[in-house]
Amino acid sequence: MIIPTLQTDRLTLRGPEAGDWPAFRDHFLSDRSIYTGGPYEDPKRAWILFAAEIGHWHLHGFGMWSVTLKDGTPIGLVGCWYPDGWPEKEIGWLIWEPYEGKGYASEAAEAARAQCYGRFGWKTAVSYIHRDNARSIALAKRLGCVLDAKAAHPNPDALVYRHPSPEEVAA
Amino acid sequence: MIELQTSRLTLRLPMLADWPAYRDFYASDAAKHIGGPLPAVRSWYYFAGDRGHWDLHGFGWFTLDDGRGAVGTCGLHIPPHHADVEIGWNVYGAGQGKGYATEAARAVLDWAPSVTDAQRIVSYIDRGNTASKRVAEKLGADFTGEMAAHDPDCEVWLHQRRAA
Repeated sequence: MIIPTLQTDRLTLRGPEAGDWPAFRDHFLSDRSIYTGGPYEDPKRAWILFAAEIGHWHLHGFGMWSVTLKDGTPIGLVGCWYPDGWPEKEIGWLIWEPYEGKGYASEAAEAARAQCYGRFGWKTAVSYIHRDNARSIALAKRLGCVLDAKAAHPNPDALVYRHPSPEEVAA
Repeated sequence: MIELQTSRLTLRLPMLADWPAYRDFYASDAAKHIGGPLPAVRSWYYFAGDRGHWDLHGFGWFTLDDGRGAVGTCGLHIPPHHADVEIGWNVYGAGQGKGYATEAARAVLDWAPSVTDAQRIVSYIDRGNTASKRVAEKLGADFTGEMAAHDPDCEVWLHQRRAA
């Protein structure tokens, strides 16, 4: 499939490319990834995950976009995530450290969510967030998500934040 | 869409329908020489990564399909921690003992010069994986006497160069 490219005011969302690897690797080898499965001691695991980000698009028809500034600088990954073991399709975000705190994640996540509900036809979406990841929880709330305590989770540390429905987002 | 044909197999890009067979293989003892056994929540990333490799390098792992579904994988890959492009092969339980790995790997080696200008194509084979070494020998590869820089348990087998 051709991965669609999206534009927001400040960002471009495009398919992950080989040039995105160094920043991705550095993130998953650092403590920054503590709430998303890392940090990995072995860069091999980070590389398999990186390649899987791309393969995910071909297997499912949706996936995580590489988010870049308008000058092309990659700043993270935001989009759709549905690996084995995930009870539902997720909207996820990873922003590399120097670019945090500027509202980029919410800007990209809103654009991604519009695609989930539009192009990909999702009826609902969740974000799985580590219970200690306060920044990510705050972001989910800014996106209109509410804690869904009854929903199944992929692991015991994950809280399930449910996104507003397609109708609520459109309203 | 890249696809190779051999007398008994179709080599095609991995798709979601291939996942259960891949998962079951990686969860079994048969995967002990390639980093397994692994639970599905780990092996899924290998599976998706195999597919993603194609976008990164223009080559990658094929699913081997005998007409009834996935019976294994074979392909070329070059993760950043590998010194050389590797050809690898995995045949799942029911398909073993039929020469599928050799048949598929021959097709991949013939195809390799059209997608990579690598001077060396190797196989990194766990020292205890006698079945895989036998396949390498049948393919005309030679053990270099060296162990892989990324894994001291893996022998480096060098394949004969094909003309482009």
